[in-house]
Amino acid sequence: MNLITTVASVQQAEALLAAGVDTLYLGESEFGLRLPADIHQADLKTIVPMAHAAGKKVTVAVNAIFHNDRIEKVRAYLHVLADLKVDAVTIGDPGAIHVLQQEVPELAYIYDAEVVVTSAQQVNFWARHGATGAVIAREVPYGELVTMAPELTVPGEIQVYGATCIHQSGRPLLHNYFDFVKDHQDRADRQRGLFIAIPQHQNDHYSIYEDRNGTHIFANNDLNLMTKLDQLYQLGLTNWKLDGLFTDETQFVAIAKAFVAAKQALAAGTWTPALAAELSQQVVANQPVNRGLDTGFYEIDPSEVQ
Amino acid sequence: MRTIQNKPEVLAPAGTLEKLKVAIDYGADAVYIGGDAYGLRTRAGNFSFDQMREGVAYAHARHAKVYVAANIVAHEGDTAGAGRFFQTLREIGIDAVIVSDPALIEIAILEAPGLPVHLSTQASAANYETLNFWQSEGLERVVLAREVGIEEIKEMRRHTDVQIEAFIHGAMCIGYSGRCVLSNHMSMRDANRGGCAQNCRWKYDLFEMPTAGQREEETDAKTPFTMSAVDMAMIEHIPDLIEAGVNSFKIEGRMKSIHYVSTVANVYRQAVDSYCADPEHYQLDPAWVDELWKVAQREMSTGFYYGTPTADDELFGKRRKRPSYAFVGEVMAYDPAKKLATIRQRNNFGVGDQIEFYGPHFTHHTETLTQLWDEDYDILLRAPDAMMICKVPVTQPVKPGDMLRRANQLV
Repeated sequence: MNLITTVASVQQAEALLAAGVDTLYLGESEFGLRLPADIHQADLKTIVPMAHAAGKKVTVAVNAIFHNDRIEKVRAYLHVLADLKVDAVTIGDPGAIHVLQQEVPELAYIYDAEVVVTSAQQVNFWARHGATGAVIAREVPYGELVTMAPELTVPGEIQVYGATCIHQSGRPLLHNYFDFVKDHQDRADRQRGLFIAIPQHQNDHYSIYEDRNGTHIFANNDLNLMTKLDQLYQLGLTNWKLDGLFTDETQFVAIAKAFVAAKQALAAGTWTPALAAELSQQVVANQPVNRGLDTGFYEIDPSEVQ
Repeated sequence: MRTIQNKPEVLAPAGTLEKLKVAIDYGADAVYIGGDAYGLRTRAGNFSFDQMREGVAYAHARHAKVYVAANIVAHEGDTAGAGRFFQTLREIGIDAVIVSDPALIEIAILEAPGLPVHLSTQASAANYETLNFWQSEGLERVVLAREVGIEEIKEMRRHTDVQIEAFIHGAMCIGYSGRCVLSNHMSMRDANRGGCAQNCRWKYDLFEMPTAGQREEETDAKTPFTMSAVDMAMIEHIPDLIEAGVNSFKIEGRMKSIHYVSTVANVYRQAVDSYCADPEHYQLDPAWVDELWKVAQREMSTGFYYGTPTADDELFGKRRKRPSYAFVGEVMAYDPAKKLATIRQRNNFGVGDQIEFYGPHFTHHTETLTQLWDEDYDILLRAPDAMMICKVPVTQPVKPGDMLRRANQLV
């Protein structure tokens, strides 16, 4: 089992390692999508040896959609990452894979094109092109994971906690709106905490923010698959990502601890539904007050999505 | 005098066999269609294999090509039969398939070798290394992400010789194509398997919410937040696209009408031919722009070609008025001795209406109908029945295949 968590700072990385997570996932918005913080090279120089000294791994996000200007920066960045001895990168743009294979073929990559990674056949295509793993789309329900899991030739990663991105636009959608209504606001960033909802749907709240990669919109509720970990474990899907994009740094560590406890219980054979419910409550207790939790598409009958 | 020999292709949408023929008659070098499976426009008219055979025969006889879009992102089980499907397309003589899912790309290449594969815009290819990657996989052409600008295309051309196809006209996704599942989450319809409910075009409240349920509205009550893009029209920038090295000019709209397909293909055919014949003396004909407005569904913009779109490129607030034209009929025959046109009705029209006749090669004339007869020469005032055959006197010659439209009020 491999618990992967995002990282918002050097201090949080230290706390997450102490909490018992297996892989730190981080990067900067120049190359990676929807990260809690920009962790630049100076901090990587601290975090990577720290993780390795603890016997843990570091994966760096290189999963943005790149235009010409940035694909050249990817070339240099991959060399830096290889020199820093990071354990893997995530990539979603085939151009970045092409560059990696030319420049640093020894650097492992995990395919991560977010919403479009929906079949074992596709994952295996990337495995044949050197991927050592793939992040499965959150829109793949359990009913499909059951048939997908045995077909995968490289490990599939499942997000088990945190926000689900459902839209990425290259346009500044919020600033364009503010400009149109002549209400010139400076901020449309994640920290501001804007949501959208269909007017009739009073309980809906889809997060929306802008950054250098465009405008991002998120599902109504964040994921909490704590009570499903035993099912995933039985399927052999044991690379679990916790995404702390919207979660307070300290509370995210508490959530990570709950998942570490779950992992240990599965390994020791002491997992029970009661324990899962209790650990799930710990996740709920540490969730931001303005964000809901549910199981997303996990329990949806695949035939319900037309 | 400089001329351009290697003209870019004008690529038109064809939701049905009838639209395929019209698009080619009106100047398209190629059309793209959908099959019964694996395509994103499940609600467009899609082609059976027999219809594809007829379409390919029609197109190839006129030196035009037919591509099939098979651009879904497959879930478990969705690719069953895809190899046989691609083999059948190859046997039919389809000129290429347009695919975005790597699993389907691999199936096409391995199981139907010889069938050219184009990367769909759904894969959001936005840099030259991505183009190089797919070329090394054996793809012949890449349809660019709609977020790519003119200068970026020029830069791509310096780094790759894969064929480049770019959207030049029609409706646009507001997000990176393929990277949007608003429809899945809001409507339980899979955007990447043909179910897109166009949730981006809905109206939304925008608010801060420090704690759950405590909304602090940001939305101007009269102007809800939305994410609706205006449509693309690159008619005023054809030289830039050609000089940047775009090989294929793609027109969006497999769901759109014969009226739209004929009009848009006709206009871009004129513009491309005109520029390639004499680039130094090329001038934009304002009539082309006017013509595109006659079938416009929204305002038009240049998307990302000249920079990141602003508020002007989105549909906020009240819609501006635009002309609306009704497609009322098509010419079936013309008797030059009697100066009489035989018309198949497509919308109610009649005596006193001012009718514009238009045809391939951008022929146009307008006249007020003075008389109308049915097939048996019984006098009519209106032609009210769908597809009814009627006859009208015309002052100028028309040809079978010409279309009739009538201006309505502004909408």
